[in-house]
Amino acid sequence: MDSSMATPSIAADHRPAHLQLINVWKRFGPPERQTVAVRNVDLAIQPGEFVTLIGPSGCGKSTLFNMIAGLIAPDDDGSILLSNKVQQDYGLLGKVAFMPQRDLLFPWRTVIDNATLPLEIEGVSRKAARARAEALFPEFGLEGFETHYPHQLSGGMRQRVALMRTFLFERDLVLLDEPFGALDALTRSMMQRWLLDVWAKHRRTVLFITHDIDEAIFLGDKVVVMTARPGTIKCAERINLPRPRAASVTTTGEFIDIKRRLLAVVEEESLKTFGGATLA
Amino acid sequence: MKRDALLRSPLPMLVVLALAWWLVVPALKIEARYLPPLGAVIADARSVWPDLLAGFWRTLLETVIGFFIGAALGIAAGIGFAQWRWLERGVFPIFVALQSVPVIAFGAIVVIWFGNTLASKVVIALYLAFFPIAVNTLRGLQEADPQRMALMRSFGASSRQMFLKLSLPTALPTIMIGLKIGLSLALAGAIVGEWFGDTVGLGVMLLQALYFEQVPRLWVLILTCGGLGTLLYGGAGLIERRFIWWRAE
Amino acid sequence: MVAGGVTWRDRLAVVIGLATLFIVWQAATMLFAVPDYILPRPLDIAWAIVERREQIWRALLFTLAETGAGFAIGALIGIGLAVCLVLIPPCEAVVMPLAVAINAVPSVAFVPLALIWFGLGMGSKIAMAVLAIAFIVLLNALSGLKKPEQGHIDLMRSFGAGRFGILWRLRLPAAMPSIVTGLRVGLGRSTIAVIVAEMLGAYDGIGQIVYQSTAQVDYLSVWAAVLTAMLGSLALYGCLVAIDRKLIWWR
Repeated sequence: MDSSMATPSIAADHRPAHLQLINVWKRFGPPERQTVAVRNVDLAIQPGEFVTLIGPSGCGKSTLFNMIAGLIAPDDDGSILLSNKVQQDYGLLGKVAFMPQRDLLFPWRTVIDNATLPLEIEGVSRKAARARAEALFPEFGLEGFETHYPHQLSGGMRQRVALMRTFLFERDLVLLDEPFGALDALTRSMMQRWLLDVWAKHRRTVLFITHDIDEAIFLGDKVVVMTARPGTIKCAERINLPRPRAASVTTTGEFIDIKRRLLAVVEEESLKTFGGATLA
Repeated sequence: MKRDALLRSPLPMLVVLALAWWLVVPALKIEARYLPPLGAVIADARSVWPDLLAGFWRTLLETVIGFFIGAALGIAAGIGFAQWRWLERGVFPIFVALQSVPVIAFGAIVVIWFGNTLASKVVIALYLAFFPIAVNTLRGLQEADPQRMALMRSFGASSRQMFLKLSLPTALPTIMIGLKIGLSLALAGAIVGEWFGDTVGLGVMLLQALYFEQVPRLWVLILTCGGLGTLLYGGAGLIERRFIWWRAE
Repeated sequence: MVAGGVTWRDRLAVVIGLATLFIVWQAATMLFAVPDYILPRPLDIAWAIVERREQIWRALLFTLAETGAGFAIGALIGIGLAVCLVLIPPCEAVVMPLAVAINAVPSVAFVPLALIWFGLGMGSKIAMAVLAIAFIVLLNALSGLKKPEQGHIDLMRSFGAGRFGILWRLRLPAAMPSIVTGLRVGLGRSTIAVIVAEMLGAYDGIGQIVYQSTAQVDYLSVWAAVLTAMLGSLALYGCLVAIDRKLIWWR
């Protein structure tokens, strides 16, 4: 059934990968009623690279993400390497800056205390943690909101607080799981450009999940497409659009070409889940 | 899942507790003054069986009558509060405060009013059950969310229909919580009410056992009261599961 | 109720409500010449409180001290147990059935036993207050501590937080609202438990005044003691509401 699958075209790069997934699987349930969430995923991300991951909903993106974050253990067949070191089950906890879909801010903490949460857990003193956070406030567009509570902020601002929290947890690998999924289109495109600025400045390795093709192309150095469940990697496309990217890049012919190619692939996969649900 | 179901069913729990009591008391040589052996408690229960049964029925009767009248009045009051905003503003905070007040001390006064009759215990039980039921009824009725109200209004619903089809069903789970609190308070009220003077009832027997320092008898009565409580709450829980399957949001 | 400000109009409404109650009561008892043993006049009760202020004040302090001590111990037991159960989940299978069994018995039924075990002094009242509050706080704290969803827990884990880190920074703050609710409900219950225990046997306290005055057919004193107890527990309740606002500043 997978003979038609294109092989991932990411072997070309020979620099040591920052994050490498080799034959990663995740199955749930007892053997007789097993569901395979993630199947045979091979993926390599170079240091400082911005990789976006798209796929139909329910394709196991989040499962894959949770494995990379160290929240769930991959099955024994494969392994996850961080900076060329094989990681034990749950060994990645505390090594990857992970941002889940929802902002998950703590309602009882002020904006600054929410942002410094990971530093507190690392054992950084409150004062030092706050000093480090304060430096980031202008850049994250949150100046003057340090002592506000989450319920006083708009959706876009809450998301920036969550991103700041993720960035303050200074790990070289950042995982973002549809961080702008809940925002309206205008706020989202502003946040995308802003994220690129922040990334250009800090140069972390980013793996970014989205279901929005425009977003994937606009942000990424490389777009990776996942198949319908059981999720595996269908293809990867390098995006050579010049950086820094302005909003206008989305209307260039090059962008449209990439989009057309990716759309065809994604559509095919989406139809599989859709058809499976309605015609089965 | 299986362990959960086991945890929830009271039977294995009772067996384990009884077994523990039976084994631990002789093993640790606990003084009978603190915890008599299970055998002594059972023997004592047998010796007062007729009294115990009579007391059980009497206290059950007081509790149930008091609870039902209190519930009726409480729900009516709650609906009244929901209907008239000025009443809610002026009186409701006093009600909420009264919930945390040792109203049981009024028991003495109630017995003065009604004498040593069944009525005086019923009134105490009623009085205690009334407040939480009234408060929860109002809270429940206020829970209907404005968007659903607007939807109903857009369908052209009358205020009667709004109440019957939206407000009341929304309120029922919360009212049920109030009813359960009221039930346990009614039981406590009936027991304490008997202390102010009577001849039959579990509360009376508790008082007698205290005066004669009959510790096994006290344990018999504690277990009987627990049984009565479990019976009442169990019944309430059954009704809740049968008729109110949706939950408070 | 607790959330949101109380406007002056709300306060005014309560004052009017209380004043109406007072006036109707006073007028009705005077108009129909209701004898004291049925319903004394509010002014007479107020005067009785003033007259017996020393006795009543001492009794009130006594009762409040017992309630306070029992409240503190019971709350600590309840919260402590809940924390243990969350840290070591298998314990729940042992502790909860026992707690549920004890709770199925109306707490007033334990009063005679408490008097025999701990004597007529403060000990038995404190024990009753502990019993009355510990279970409700345990239940509330437990459900509060379990409230954080997996997403929040996963986030904390991804930051490298361990069991205690998650407890301290996530579970406990998240549980505060329901713990405070438990404390509020428990406060009422423990006041009742203490007064009921005092009525059956004590050297001092509001419950003892109620009991003795009933026996001596001194109804004015009964009312005076009951109303004082109401005011006392209202004050306590007010304190808790204030603490509630201070502790749960978010939302």
